[in-house]
Amino acid sequence: MARENIYQEEEFPSPLLQLWYHFKEKPFIMVAFGCFIALILLALFAPFITPFDSSQNHLDHLLLPPAWNDNGNVSYLLGTDKLGRDMLSRLMHGASFTFGLSFFIVIVSAIIGVIIGSLSALTSGLKSSFLNHFLDVILSIPSLLLAIVIVAILGTGLSNTVLAIVVVLIPQFVHITRNEVKKEFSKDYVLVSKLDGASSLRILRYSIFPNIVEKIIGQATLAQSAAILDIAALGFLGLGAPIPLPEWGAMLSNGIDLFYIAPWTVYFPGIAILFAVIVTNLVGEGLRHALKVRKTS
Amino acid sequence: MLHALINRYLLSITLLLLIQGCNNEDTNLLASKSIIYCSEGSPEGFNPQIITSGVTVDATANQLYNRLITFSGPENDIAPSIAKSWHVTKDGKRITFYLRKDVKFHTTEYFTPSRNLNADDVLFSFNRILDKQNEYHYISGGNYPFFQSVEFDSIVENIEKINDYTVRFTLKRADSSILANLATDFAVILSEEYAQHLSDLESQQQIDILPVGTGPYKLKEYRAGSFIRYIAHNDYWQTKPNLEQLIFDITPSNTGRLTKLLANECDVVAYPIAHNKIIERPDLTLDEVTSFNVGYLGFNTARPPFNNKLVRKAISLAINKEAILETIYFGKADKANTIIPPTSWAYDKTLPEQEYSVSKAVRLLNQAGYPDGFAMNIWAMPVQRSYNPDALTMAKLIQGDLQKIGVNVTITSNYEWSMFLKLVAEGEHQAVLLGWSADHPDPDNFLTPLLSCASALKGNSRTFWCNQQFDELIHNALETSDLTKRKAYYAQALRIIADEAPLVPIAHSKRYQARNSNIKGKLLNTFGGINFTEASKN
Amino acid sequence: MLIFTLRRINLFIFTMLLLTLLSFSLSKLFPGDSLINLSGQINATAEQRDVLAEAYSHNDSIIHQYWAYLTHLFDGDLGLSMASHLPVSSEIMNLLPATVELSMVSLLIAMAIGIPVGFIAAVNHKKFTDNAILSIAMIGYSVPVFWLGLLAILVFSIQLGWLPSAGRISLVYEIKAVTGIQFIDILMSDNEYKWQAFQDATAHIIMPACVVAIAPMTIFIRLARTSMMEVLDTSYITAAKAKGLTFWQIIYRHAVRNALINVIRHVGLQFANLVTLAMVTEVIFSWPGIGRWLIESIFQRDYTAIQGGLIALSSFIFIVHIVTDFIYAGLNPLARDRKHGA
Repeated sequence: MARENIYQEEEFPSPLLQLWYHFKEKPFIMVAFGCFIALILLALFAPFITPFDSSQNHLDHLLLPPAWNDNGNVSYLLGTDKLGRDMLSRLMHGASFTFGLSFFIVIVSAIIGVIIGSLSALTSGLKSSFLNHFLDVILSIPSLLLAIVIVAILGTGLSNTVLAIVVVLIPQFVHITRNEVKKEFSKDYVLVSKLDGASSLRILRYSIFPNIVEKIIGQATLAQSAAILDIAALGFLGLGAPIPLPEWGAMLSNGIDLFYIAPWTVYFPGIAILFAVIVTNLVGEGLRHALKVRKTS
Repeated sequence: MLHALINRYLLSITLLLLIQGCNNEDTNLLASKSIIYCSEGSPEGFNPQIITSGVTVDATANQLYNRLITFSGPENDIAPSIAKSWHVTKDGKRITFYLRKDVKFHTTEYFTPSRNLNADDVLFSFNRILDKQNEYHYISGGNYPFFQSVEFDSIVENIEKINDYTVRFTLKRADSSILANLATDFAVILSEEYAQHLSDLESQQQIDILPVGTGPYKLKEYRAGSFIRYIAHNDYWQTKPNLEQLIFDITPSNTGRLTKLLANECDVVAYPIAHNKIIERPDLTLDEVTSFNVGYLGFNTARPPFNNKLVRKAISLAINKEAILETIYFGKADKANTIIPPTSWAYDKTLPEQEYSVSKAVRLLNQAGYPDGFAMNIWAMPVQRSYNPDALTMAKLIQGDLQKIGVNVTITSNYEWSMFLKLVAEGEHQAVLLGWSADHPDPDNFLTPLLSCASALKGNSRTFWCNQQFDELIHNALETSDLTKRKAYYAQALRIIADEAPLVPIAHSKRYQARNSNIKGKLLNTFGGINFTEASKN
Repeated sequence: MLIFTLRRINLFIFTMLLLTLLSFSLSKLFPGDSLINLSGQINATAEQRDVLAEAYSHNDSIIHQYWAYLTHLFDGDLGLSMASHLPVSSEIMNLLPATVELSMVSLLIAMAIGIPVGFIAAVNHKKFTDNAILSIAMIGYSVPVFWLGLLAILVFSIQLGWLPSAGRISLVYEIKAVTGIQFIDILMSDNEYKWQAFQDATAHIIMPACVVAIAPMTIFIRLARTSMMEVLDTSYITAAKAKGLTFWQIIYRHAVRNALINVIRHVGLQFANLVTLAMVTEVIFSWPGIGRWLIESIFQRDYTAIQGGLIALSSFIFIVHIVTDFIYAGLNPLARDRKHGA
């Protein structure tokens, strides 16, 4: 058979493809990744695929236990709450809020954080030192306390919580971008670009970003699991999503009154949060691991 | 070094566990001499004359104070307390009370009494309410809600001291409910000597914050939102309390109270949820006491369409009360036929049963000129009360019922409680889910505050319903003390309510309370707040 | 060490300056009158308001206002709580010790369990034990703390009846707050039921402290594991091996101490995270600490309380941060001369 390839050259996968190969080596990471994709799809399409409307009351079926219980009903797989709302539909719809919003929050705060971080990396001296200390201060304030302060300024509600968490997450991105950009700036290939007469912005755009983007994505997965927990915590404390919205944390705190009669109204939202956070963490873990392996191999 | 540290650490943990193990056998536990009562809120003050909310009355009335007379027995007869006996003249206009001589006030960190209770204290306690010139009348705002609601100042002419232990009330007109009023939790006796003492210090407002009474317990410490610590009043004139301490653990969250009960952190719990869970546990007891109350749906009769009695009756026919009793009260309340509960002597057994009939309701709506139905709003009270534990869910059930007769309901319940009451008093609603708990057994306590023209004018009645004939009947019933006559008047009045339907009575519920089975003694009465006088722990 | 100390003091002053600036600007950002937000006197009459305006230099430039605010802070005056009308500073003095107690006990638990477990994982690197520990740590890190608290109450308070579910101590014990740290107060009091009270307080703190400790514990596991693995890679360990020491001798004499130092460096950073968890846990276990109070303050729109609580809690965290820095520097001479702080 004739060789089609006249050059005796091995095919090198692109860095991204390499990352993917390393990433998919571990089967349970792939399972988690599948779940992650499923959660994203659920967050996008939940309102269209839930068996019932998440706010519809089924007054004949108040506090129905899950289907596997003797008193359960198969049409309401995970039971109903005290107003007869289908738990499964609410949990599915809740993915849009708790999981979907966390995604949105991370993207927004990553963009803002990276911009501030790279700009600050280009400055030096007093300004830089001020920013450094300022970040230290912000990072030493517990994230929930900061979110509480922001909610106190803006008032409670889902959109204000989202804003608060965005603000809370920004410093982490600033911090990591700044450190990474500084690190890269001291490398030789940047020097080459500099000697070529490239402006700082151009160096950032074409030389540095491609090299640090994966680090930032790694940070983003960490930030996302934090964001999910924060949204849920604020919802639980009654500072976030208003009552009728099926946000998981708020659902959980709604269920507390019935904890001893209808424990499933507390178990399921909690499991949903736990599931979303574990999946996010596993994907992040896999990603960071793959990055490390690629670097060392 | 690390090794030594770890060793020491382990040692201390072992020691701690050992100590714990040993002392469990100790019978001399402080906990066995104290009762912790998990209450649902912080009292706003320590004087039930001024603040009549359930929380305040529970915390103060029976623990800190006594009254001249009290209710006792299954029939809620009037019985002696500080007054060992009394005498009413034939015309019903003069009442003479003969006081006990051995009633001692609390000795506390802030006040030491020098004398026992006497007529001056009784005079002071009531003159504070009646006499606008009294130095203490306007301290704490000058409002005496219960006494204003029964129009105390238009009943009582004056109060005289005959001698140190005899007091006479002279009335402007005979009033058959006056003794009942004086036996309520609100008519407590304060210390005149303490008031004098505070005047000297010029800190009069302290009288309602740091209380001095004659009750079985005295105040040790109060931290708003957290706890009240009462200790035994060892010179109590009745049997000395069995406990060293009585602690009110203020736990507003329903689940929080239930959790503390299930984890044995509370001995007694107010308004428990999840009754089945409590009954399941052998070490817990669920107490229930008939409470004189009614939960109702009131119509705003001042606004169309509810100024039309046919529409009101149509709605009342369309509401499925059985379903509400099952869902909201878990089958643990009595269906209400009229606003007075069946346990009252004024209840008329011949009163026809209220029906549930969708077809009749539709017919009445057609008659009233609404063949296609209409849209209305229902305001559901945003707090839990024993007469309505979940108004929002109740509103949703009614919404479903009324849909069947073509009436579309929107529900309003997102106001804060005091704002809600204010807006409803201004007549913002078309229909409202509320309720009423009686303060004493006299049936007048249901009719006058809820449906009289006077209360419609003042906005106290959320129905704005005023019927001259009805008003006359309840007025006549008060003037006589002949029970058969009163009964006849009230029977007529109840029929007017049934015919006019200014409100739909829904349920008479019970007051519930849960306790650890090792707490003995009666705690709840039909009227008024919780009473720890007889409580003991073993 | 002197330079190190000076550097830390400088950092501390700068941080406090920023914090007070933040808190001061909050009074402008919160809804309503900034003067009322600062002083907390919601029912001030016109004359009282004039006095306040004078006290807070309200009609002067913003820098004067800030300076006036700082002087009030130095006098320990954080204004009146809008909800309870008590001085915020006295409320904080009542509440902060409870939070300090809870977070310190949690930190101890997290370190006492997390670090040894992390070491075990590192020693068994890539074996089953390591993987099992890492998986459990991952779950522990992902559990929402409020849910965990509820489940803990269900299991340990209600089903097993072992531990109480709410508060710091049973209300039957009347302990006078002297230091605010309850265990010390109990030991100092002359109450005849002292030992009962001590046991009761111990039983009360176990569950909330463990719930708070779970997530930081998993982080300590990872930190200890990484740091131990790094240490095991170093040449002095190889040298020790060459000397013929047994594996456990190497671990115990050489590796543990050096690995510990690196873990301690991160304690300060983890502490902010731990306090966040403690705030939520306080709500669930009705722990009378500053976190629960702050969350209630939002519902009551008690802006003075939020400002005061922010300053108190953040300075507490920062002080812990600096103290751990000093401990780290004390243990690790290399860290003292570094130009930039951790």
